[in-house]
Amino acid sequence: MRSPWVALVLLASTLSFAAPPSLKLWHGYRGGEEQAIEQAAKAFTAATGTQVEILAVPYDALSSKLTSAIPHEAGPDVFIFAHERLRQFHRMKIVAPSGPGLEPSKYLKPAVDALELDGKFYGYPLSIKCLALFMRDDRGLTAPTTTDALEAQLTAASNPAKNEFGLAYEAGDFYFHAPILFGFGGQLFDAQGRAQFETPAMEKSLAWVKSLQDRHLMPQEASGALVKTLFNENRTAMVISGPWFTGEIDPGVKYSIHPLPMVSETGLPMAPFLGVEAAFVSSRTTQPEAAEALAKFLAVGDATVMRVITGRQIPAELAAYENEAVAKDTMISAFRAVAERGTATPNTLEMARVWEPMKLALRAVLQGGVSPHDGGPLAGRRYRALNREAPPTTSPVPYVVVLVLGLVALVTWQSRKAKGKSFKQRYPEAGRGLAYVAPAAAGLAVLVVVPFVIGLSLSLFHHEAGEYSFVGLANFTDILTSKGYRITEPLSFYFTLVVTLLWTLANVVLHVSIGLFLAILLKEPLLKLRGVYRVLLIVPWAVPNYITAMMWKGMFHRQFGAINAILGMFGIEPVSWFAQWSTAFAANVITNTWLGFPFMMVVSLGALQSIPTDLYEAAEVDGASKWTQFRRITLPLLRPALLPAIILGSVWTFNMFNIIYLVSGGEPGGGTDILVSEAFRWAFQRNEQYGFAAAYSVLIFFVLFAWSQVTKRLSGEEQA
Amino acid sequence: MQIPLVVPCVLSTLRPLVSDVRLVGIKKSFGENAIVKGVDLDVIDGEFLVMVGPSGCGKTTLLRIISGLEQMDEGELFIGGKKMNDVPPRERDVGMVFQSYALYPHMTVRENMAFGLELRKLPRAEIDARVAEAARMLELGPLLERKPKALSGGQRQRVAMGRVIVRRPQLFLFDEPLSNLDTALRVAMRGELARLHRQLGVTMIYVTHDQVEAMTLATRVAVFNQGILQQLGAPLELYHRPCNAFVAQFLGSPSMNLITAKREGDRFVGAGFTLPAVGDASGEVKLGMRPQDLRVGSEGPIRGEIEAVERLGFDGYAFLKTPAGPIAARFEGADVQVGQTVAVMPTGDVLHVFSSDGARALRHPEARRA
Repeated sequence: MRSPWVALVLLASTLSFAAPPSLKLWHGYRGGEEQAIEQAAKAFTAATGTQVEILAVPYDALSSKLTSAIPHEAGPDVFIFAHERLRQFHRMKIVAPSGPGLEPSKYLKPAVDALELDGKFYGYPLSIKCLALFMRDDRGLTAPTTTDALEAQLTAASNPAKNEFGLAYEAGDFYFHAPILFGFGGQLFDAQGRAQFETPAMEKSLAWVKSLQDRHLMPQEASGALVKTLFNENRTAMVISGPWFTGEIDPGVKYSIHPLPMVSETGLPMAPFLGVEAAFVSSRTTQPEAAEALAKFLAVGDATVMRVITGRQIPAELAAYENEAVAKDTMISAFRAVAERGTATPNTLEMARVWEPMKLALRAVLQGGVSPHDGGPLAGRRYRALNREAPPTTSPVPYVVVLVLGLVALVTWQSRKAKGKSFKQRYPEAGRGLAYVAPAAAGLAVLVVVPFVIGLSLSLFHHEAGEYSFVGLANFTDILTSKGYRITEPLSFYFTLVVTLLWTLANVVLHVSIGLFLAILLKEPLLKLRGVYRVLLIVPWAVPNYITAMMWKGMFHRQFGAINAILGMFGIEPVSWFAQWSTAFAANVITNTWLGFPFMMVVSLGALQSIPTDLYEAAEVDGASKWTQFRRITLPLLRPALLPAIILGSVWTFNMFNIIYLVSGGEPGGGTDILVSEAFRWAFQRNEQYGFAAAYSVLIFFVLFAWSQVTKRLSGEEQA
Repeated sequence: MQIPLVVPCVLSTLRPLVSDVRLVGIKKSFGENAIVKGVDLDVIDGEFLVMVGPSGCGKTTLLRIISGLEQMDEGELFIGGKKMNDVPPRERDVGMVFQSYALYPHMTVRENMAFGLELRKLPRAEIDARVAEAARMLELGPLLERKPKALSGGQRQRVAMGRVIVRRPQLFLFDEPLSNLDTALRVAMRGELARLHRQLGVTMIYVTHDQVEAMTLATRVAVFNQGILQQLGAPLELYHRPCNAFVAQFLGSPSMNLITAKREGDRFVGAGFTLPAVGDASGEVKLGMRPQDLRVGSEGPIRGEIEAVERLGFDGYAFLKTPAGPIAARFEGADVQVGQTVAVMPTGDVLHVFSSDGARALRHPEARRA
């Protein structure tokens, strides 16, 4: 009865031999763009007979998936990515130069320029992304060509009393500020290619934006979500945003897209950064010709039209604009006009170092903490602090020797404790015991031990642009000596440590006192609807904490937040919560208290209910007032239950990344960052200094380890 | 047997009363449940009053009203002549020993005893002296630094008492303090309590459901049932001259036999028995006979089959099934077996006569009228 199986196997093998060659294509598109790329790939198969296996990877994960898969021959033949990473891909040797199939004259010039590296082109440009001016048609405004005209229109369109604005955009993000800086004649890099911040154009551009905000022509602290809401609700007439914004506009709203205006003072256009998406050929592809053909196919002709019509992309290919359907599309043609003035975002490492310092300066200026004049220098200082010099490379040999000696000492010590007995003699049942603990031990090893050892070793390295160098304890000495900044600056470890301790203390005190207070109220048997309150008060705990954090972030908004609205009812001036350290810190603490008190309440309630009522009656008869009963009976009896909860709560709070990251985001100027969010920033927002971040994490570990020793003693006393 | 609601018939002693605690018309309900239904009671200065009754009779509630832990709905309470209705417990100068002892688990024995004194801001030396004295009196000396969980039941009981003693209140309240102890310890502690009362000479009010405790400890006993004070008097007075069938049955062990009978001339006639009539009751009555006053034998007016035997040694009690109802009777030495049919014989003038609803006593045996 084996014959059917044999036949099947034979069939499968013949099929696989007969199968045409196939290409792998990876991209990060979703929605219409994904459909378009699938259509285009089908068209390619129809035209050439070559199958295309398409894999859509979430955009955030695509880069790391490419850089890890391609060197191991597991990656795609062709992948689609934005040009900013080209230099990194090139250095990691995962991208191949374009062949003769690329004809630069057939594409928008800035788009091809973006793909040039050391005189060679890489990839085929597909589409561009840049900022433009969106205007609501129903406001009867004409597109401003100069900033003077823009300001006149904004003044007419704004109504501060009703929180209506002329213009809205994410002013705190440098991507949006860059065109304004360029319009004022600013240059981001000096002749040596180093970033420069302390320029007159920087001051002028900051002062201009600040004046728009001060005159209530645009909202404060605008996020992408707020911009969208204001535009759709007709509370702003204009928006600066990119092609993606078309998908966020309500279907009923009529709008038009225009180039950003020229700066009247300089006569220079506001030139936005241009992002270019391209189809790159992998350096490890086994079918270079076919892969090259696919990349080119996607970039020109019918495929471009598909991407424009279905994917709403702004094409890089010039011929596409001649297509009848594309020419009729006003959005596409408007963006083309904008794009021709744009400059491709530099794909250099230096560019990557600009974002955080500029974000800091922009927010500081817009929130009023720093004058436009001091904004540039602030960014410059932050830039120098973040881009610290790589510590000198040292030899790992002494460390390895110390490690080996330590291990030998440990083994010797252990075997001396054994007093000459063999392992087998000491633990005759070891085999069975090991079998029992193996699952848990394996879990611990994978989830705790391996990451811990990796983190520990990483802290001894310096990472720069994909390369690690062994620097010994240099990261630790830099952190602990606060190298490069005073210890009173937010970047200093000590400053952050003090903030973290304050943060933990404030939270734990509030969590316990509010939780205990509510527990006492809830325990009161005369209280009506006790069960309802109990459930309601636990709700904050049941909601995922990042959702709560984002709600509170919204409530603390300067102009649209509920908290300032309530304060306003009492005639209190709106508070710019994230402009000063004290209020930003308070906002974080309030949010985390909201999240944290239910846990303490539940613990206290349980403990309170376990205290027999006749103790209170005895105390009452003994002569104790209610307060004395609380102090002398309730508190001491709650101690055994509350102490572990407090220890647990303090550790949670110490590492409460979500709230800090989502509510204050470390503002102002990183002052409210705690150690764990600071470690995150060093790793992922400041030039990928993984080793430095790992050293931070190791220090966090030591702080918490010391704390656990203290608490162990505390709870030990409790047991006695 | 069903106990009808009865009008209390308080036998007042003729002694002039120096009332230390006075309860006037006290009522208390929890929701729909009336727990205390109008109690008047005078507690004499220096006496050991035991409030006894089945569970749910309102005795503990009454004690908590006296301590101030419970508010009365109606009525008045005086302690030492002072009206206490609205005085919080801590200002009533009473000491209370709880059934659970209510020792503070986080404090040592010494701290437990000193707690009330510290709250009254007594000087340290005075506190130490009083604690030492109480510890000596209760033999708690070696235990002073222990915490309650390291003590035995009896020791905890003594600490609870010590905690009250050191405060020297004008009134001691006990809420079933011995019910969590084993029998031997309970007997010993009863002795200690009696000694303590003699030594201190203060008024004590003691709640229990155990009639043996009531009989052995009390100067006077107050019997409660269904929120009403049934009878108040010296233990033996209540035993010999119960004012109704409930009190008669509640005190004494085994409890009094009650059988229904009808007066016919000079005889009481009931189901399967005839007894010579005493007193002047007529019509239907309830006859009460204590088991101690009946003897098991071959001759007697009531016959029945032995259902159970409780042998205490040479003597004991036999429990019979008779046409008139269950009867308990004493036996001495006799060879009594379950299943035997025997007769019981009264040992003289032993008949208590109650009204047919049990609410009133009509007659008590002559010899016990003292």
